[in-house]
Amino acid sequence: MRVIFALLLACMMLAPAVAAGQTLSTSSATIELRSAEAAPADWHSEAPPVDGWTPVKLMDLWDARWPRHDGVVWYRLHWNQASADQPAGLLVDYVNSAYALYVNGSLIYSDTHLTEPLSRRWIRPQYFLLDKPLLRPGQNTLLVRVSGLAAYQPGLGTVTVGNPASVQAQQRRGEFWRYNVQLFDQSVSLVFGGLFLILWLLRRKDAYYGWYALCTVFWSLYSFNFVASSPWPFDNTDVWEALNAAFYVISTVTFAIFLLRYAGYQWRRTERIMLMLCMALFVFALLCPQWTGRYRAVPIVFGCSTYYASIFGFMGYALRHPRADYYALAGSLLIPLVVSAHDMLLFLSVIHSDNYLLAVTSPLTIIGMGSALAYRFAVAMRRAENFNAELQREVSAATHQLAETLKREHDLALNNVRIGERLNLVRDLHDGFGGSLLAAISTLEDPRRRPDPAQVVTTLKELRDDLRLIIDTTTHERDTDLTGLIAPLRHRWSQRFEAIAIDSQWTVEGVEDLSLGDMRVLELLRFLQEALTNVLKHSSASLVHVRIRREGERLSVDVHDDGRGFDPGNLTTRGAGLPSLRVRAGRLGATLRITSSPGDGTRLSFDAPLSPVA
Amino acid sequence: MVSTGEHIALSPVLIVEDDERTQARLVHLLRELVGTTGDIAVADTVADAKALVLSLKPRFALVDIGLPDGNGLELIDWVERHHPDTTTVAISAWGHEEVVLAALRAGAVGYLMKERDDAELRAALQSIRRGGALIDPLIARRILAHVTFTSKEDAAPPVSPVESSTRSDTSLSERESEILQFVARGFSNREIADLAGLSRFTIEGYTKSIYRKLAVSSRTAAVFEAKALGLL
Repeated sequence: MRVIFALLLACMMLAPAVAAGQTLSTSSATIELRSAEAAPADWHSEAPPVDGWTPVKLMDLWDARWPRHDGVVWYRLHWNQASADQPAGLLVDYVNSAYALYVNGSLIYSDTHLTEPLSRRWIRPQYFLLDKPLLRPGQNTLLVRVSGLAAYQPGLGTVTVGNPASVQAQQRRGEFWRYNVQLFDQSVSLVFGGLFLILWLLRRKDAYYGWYALCTVFWSLYSFNFVASSPWPFDNTDVWEALNAAFYVISTVTFAIFLLRYAGYQWRRTERIMLMLCMALFVFALLCPQWTGRYRAVPIVFGCSTYYASIFGFMGYALRHPRADYYALAGSLLIPLVVSAHDMLLFLSVIHSDNYLLAVTSPLTIIGMGSALAYRFAVAMRRAENFNAELQREVSAATHQLAETLKREHDLALNNVRIGERLNLVRDLHDGFGGSLLAAISTLEDPRRRPDPAQVVTTLKELRDDLRLIIDTTTHERDTDLTGLIAPLRHRWSQRFEAIAIDSQWTVEGVEDLSLGDMRVLELLRFLQEALTNVLKHSSASLVHVRIRREGERLSVDVHDDGRGFDPGNLTTRGAGLPSLRVRAGRLGATLRITSSPGDGTRLSFDAPLSPVA
Repeated sequence: MVSTGEHIALSPVLIVEDDERTQARLVHLLRELVGTTGDIAVADTVADAKALVLSLKPRFALVDIGLPDGNGLELIDWVERHHPDTTTVAISAWGHEEVVLAALRAGAVGYLMKERDDAELRAALQSIRRGGALIDPLIARRILAHVTFTSKEDAAPPVSPVESSTRSDTSLSERESEILQFVARGFSNREIADLAGLSRFTIEGYTKSIYRKLAVSSRTAAVFEAKALGLL
């Protein structure tokens, strides 16, 4: 009551001023016309009504006075011009929604659409330059024919007249803050939205990027409200406003989901319910635009509460979970929190201004949120890189371990080979050398026989030759073939025979790639050595022929001389060496053939299988 | 025995050997070659041997690889550098082919194995007197392995003319390599001579030239290598 009384009092005090109008005394001054008279009319009113004028204070939103009046309201303003010699600037700061402007009865401006679809002139202030004869000295009258809908805060803002330069500067300032900044906001939103949309497309797993992109897209659609000069593509303001409200709600809902997802929550049911509400609202806006438009405050309040709830929720979450990106995001949300409160009050007409501030700060918010997301992305990347490094470390450790194991196994295998070789060597020594040594010792120790020095030397030389064979066969490279293994023996015996003028001939055929195995080679060499020793000692031969030949899968060995021979039947004549030769041939899997007759030389031969018989 | 024009003069002879019996055996064998008038000196340490080389200027030296106050390989190398006119032959017992090869690379033109019969040593010494050298299959195989390595290097373009001339001096001829192949397979010199259409003495000459090349290409390196192999 007191408020109304105060307002009435104020109106009464202002009334004379309204009647008198304001006076523009100098050319450099500007005055802001805050008093006017208003009179409602219908959509197609051609001229200002004669009566029904009410004094109003600008800015005036008529829905408070005529809450059901859709159509035209005529506003009449006066000002006094001291002189009309200088042109005057005129600024129409805010008109909702479309208007025509008359100065001293002449039409100087008219919007394209004064009926539905109504032009949306309120998005930017307009500037006019007035000169004589239109401009008169003394009282000038301004008529503003405003077309609007009661549901969407129709009315007229202040009008400024005066020095053209300063009036135009004021218009530009207004245009910048109300229009350009909104455009900028739109661009930033779309860019960030697009960026995170791409990010989400490449990383579907991080759904919050997708929700963020969705949120910015709907926010852009909603913000389009502040820069669109007509309800196009719709044919009336109701649809526009209804859909605008729907976009707003969807953007706040997706924003809430984004924050939830960002904090790691996935409340499927809540999300589904909210999205279904959005969908319903969207459909309802299309089907009943008028109704939705009129009562858009309901969805907008809902969206706004969602927005605040999600922001407060997230801030609480950030406080409980200290993390750099949470702080950055929460901080960037603090700005719109304050600003949107202002805008909300403005929207609900609690405070009066021609400027919604959210758009101004919105880019800051978007950049803040973008930083938080980018930070999170960078953290994820770093983790991936660290993971790579760790993986590499572990792989190299595993490789190292594997190499160690392999090396150990290799060493073990090598060691086994060495042990095997040593065992072979021991067996060689044991079989041949050891036996001969024992035989020599027992012969020399035999008390019944005087040791014959020549016999001792012979025995020792046999031992020496056997040792030589063992050395030759054990020190060879593994891959030496039979030819190479026989070569040292052949060479040595060639020299020996040559030294005592026995012609020795060797035929080694078909054994180039043959490998018998160490033990069998040694056996063969011992056989040859003993056979040749016999030739050297006993045969008195002038020619000895050794033939080693591969015949299919058998190895044919033949040693024959042209010496004095012996009777194989009579073992006493010679043959101390024969049993040993038989044993050696037998170990090679063959039977020794002895062909000899006195005066006709001796032939020892056998055919051994190439691989050892089991 | 009188030296003929074909023979190189062996006297004066230096025997570097610390074992008395072996000394006596070698003196006995050499006496047959150089005759009673021949000059045979015996040293049993490296120091004595060096002194004798300088004073006696021997034509022929038999050097035991294992000496009490030093290493025969180093002595061979020393003799080769200080008195290159001396024909040096290494003595070894049960000599491992690595040791023999090291001696050849240090500058020896042959080697004698103590465990061989006198008849074999005599034949070897005669061969040396004829200007040749003896070789056996294991050594031949070693040299072939070494040569294969060298000829691979030859495939690369020579870095400088000096280097290329050194290379061609030390790389084996086709004939030499062929003879080594025969030896490695156990053929006697006589057999090789028949197969290659050469006289057996020529074969011995080839052997000596192979040893020379081996020594020229690697004498200085040989000592270090032998050390690395743990032979010194």
